[in-house]
Amino acid sequence: MSTHVATISPASGGSAAGSTRSVSAAANKALVLGLVGLAATGLGVVLSGKAAAFSYLTGLVFWVAVSLGALFLIMIHHVFDAGWSTVLRRQYENWITCLPWLGLLFAPLLISAVIAPGLIWKWTDPAYDLSQVGGHGTVAQDVLWVKKSGLLSTLTLIIASFVGFGGWTLISSRLRAHSVAQDNDGDIAHTHANRFWTAVGLPFTALSMTLCVILWVKALDYHWYSTMFGVWFFAGAIRSALSLGVILMVWLWSRGDYKGILNNNHMHSIGMLMFAFTVFWAYITFSQYFLIYMANIPEETFWYSLREINKDGVFNTWGYVGMFLLFGHFVAPFLTLIHYPVKLSKTWLPRVGAFIATVVLVDMTYNVMPSLKNSAGDAYPFLSLNLLWIATSVVGVGGVCVWAYLNSFAKTKLIPIRDPRIVESLTYHE
Amino acid sequence: MAATFYGLMARFDTAPEIYHAAQQVRDAGYKNWDCITPFPVHGLDGAMGLRRSNVPKFSLLGGLTGFTTGMSMIWFTGAFDYPLIVGGKPYFSPLFAFPISYELTILFTAFATIAGMFILNWLPQHYHPVLKSKEILRGLDDAFYVVIEARDPKFDLNRAKALLSQAGAKEISELEA
Repeated sequence: MSTHVATISPASGGSAAGSTRSVSAAANKALVLGLVGLAATGLGVVLSGKAAAFSYLTGLVFWVAVSLGALFLIMIHHVFDAGWSTVLRRQYENWITCLPWLGLLFAPLLISAVIAPGLIWKWTDPAYDLSQVGGHGTVAQDVLWVKKSGLLSTLTLIIASFVGFGGWTLISSRLRAHSVAQDNDGDIAHTHANRFWTAVGLPFTALSMTLCVILWVKALDYHWYSTMFGVWFFAGAIRSALSLGVILMVWLWSRGDYKGILNNNHMHSIGMLMFAFTVFWAYITFSQYFLIYMANIPEETFWYSLREINKDGVFNTWGYVGMFLLFGHFVAPFLTLIHYPVKLSKTWLPRVGAFIATVVLVDMTYNVMPSLKNSAGDAYPFLSLNLLWIATSVVGVGGVCVWAYLNSFAKTKLIPIRDPRIVESLTYHE
Repeated sequence: MAATFYGLMARFDTAPEIYHAAQQVRDAGYKNWDCITPFPVHGLDGAMGLRRSNVPKFSLLGGLTGFTTGMSMIWFTGAFDYPLIVGGKPYFSPLFAFPISYELTILFTAFATIAGMFILNWLPQHYHPVLKSKEILRGLDDAFYVVIEARDPKFDLNRAKALLSQAGAKEISELEA
């Protein structure tokens, strides 16, 4: 009814000149912060070497997850011809401008695979001595590598990363360009073009993301098998991107930009998605654990054993991290988000979002860091200097992402003003 | 014996009319009253001052019952009543009891939600005083009605009539129980 009808004032259709200036200042600050973080991580690589490189991979892959989640949400919006999320879509379109920069930030890891093979991925160096990590012989003598060597090679790693980042950059830039161009001419052809890029982009991104994540993260312990891994990463990606969306929505609301645009139903809907993907994450992660637990095959169980007990049977710190993931990544968000008032609260929903994003980072850490083993084959403890390098990497890469977002934010309109579904989104009610 | 008085039934011709009338009845402080519309009117629940339903409380209870049933069933069969080693696993672990508990959580939640809805809305109802009125046929077709019940603590025949006519009622009739 009439109470739901929102009106767009000219000021809310685009950023005012004053706020644009403050946004560019904030963008510059984010870039400086990012560069400081990256420099600190670089220092870490000099000081801690391998451990800092693993930490950098953790931080970088976390932001890749957030950004690919944003890309997925845009594509899901288009593929379902969704209505309500139109007002939020532009913020995701601004965010995904960081994808080429993430590709650039990934380059050092690829270069390291060529000039210092074995630094991160053991299989990039067939002569890698496995006794350093509690194994026998070299990688080249390891039958489990030999059988997988078609996939696990430096060349595949480089090609997959290039195809991945290249494709994501292309798709994200097309989706954003068409959406922004529609603000000017209102041509429906842009909507159709975006549906085309979505139809191509969804299967491409799903497959390339799975391949990249298998090579980047899962293959850190290349003995391991898990058919859930790509979906696990997708779940974390969507959850962190939804959290980002909520935080951006409330940030724009408190700045005043979203006044008269955002209503309770938008909050409720994104809250429901956060809830749904909390359950989705739990489903995937539990299934992965459960299948491995039930089958009890050494090639699979070692991955969880490494994250629970040391070779001498002592419960290690990663076991506590695992329990934290169970309760922090599922139980707590589940019990919080199930409440209707929390989903509407502009105070609580972004806090839950920030918490979920943090736990996605912990989950990423849990998947990456224990593969850094000592000569007994045990994982290095969770609480160590590595956490500092993870923090610097997250700040470093995150600073660059925020800089890219704010740069794009200053250039585009706040919402896609001529999208065919914009009125439906502005007057959204259940 | 004369039939007892049930309440007042007032006709409105358009959705906006009943929407605004509902707001006025709500603001007058009535509790036992209802709207009859031929189709769902968006936002009418808000105009009537209805709060969110209590069905989720039933759902929560059902969910907890289901989860507990699943866990205790697996514990009872596997570790208490007939302990048997299967696949080298312990007699009881919440891990393999989880899929069952999770399924039962969903099943019992669904049952409790449906049951809670029927308990709270008193359906199915084979008789209701408005069915005695011929007007109800229009209420299912092209007219909108507000029914204020006489059992409402604030109910006063003259004042209720005045309120409804002031709200723009086209016709007000008295209902027998």
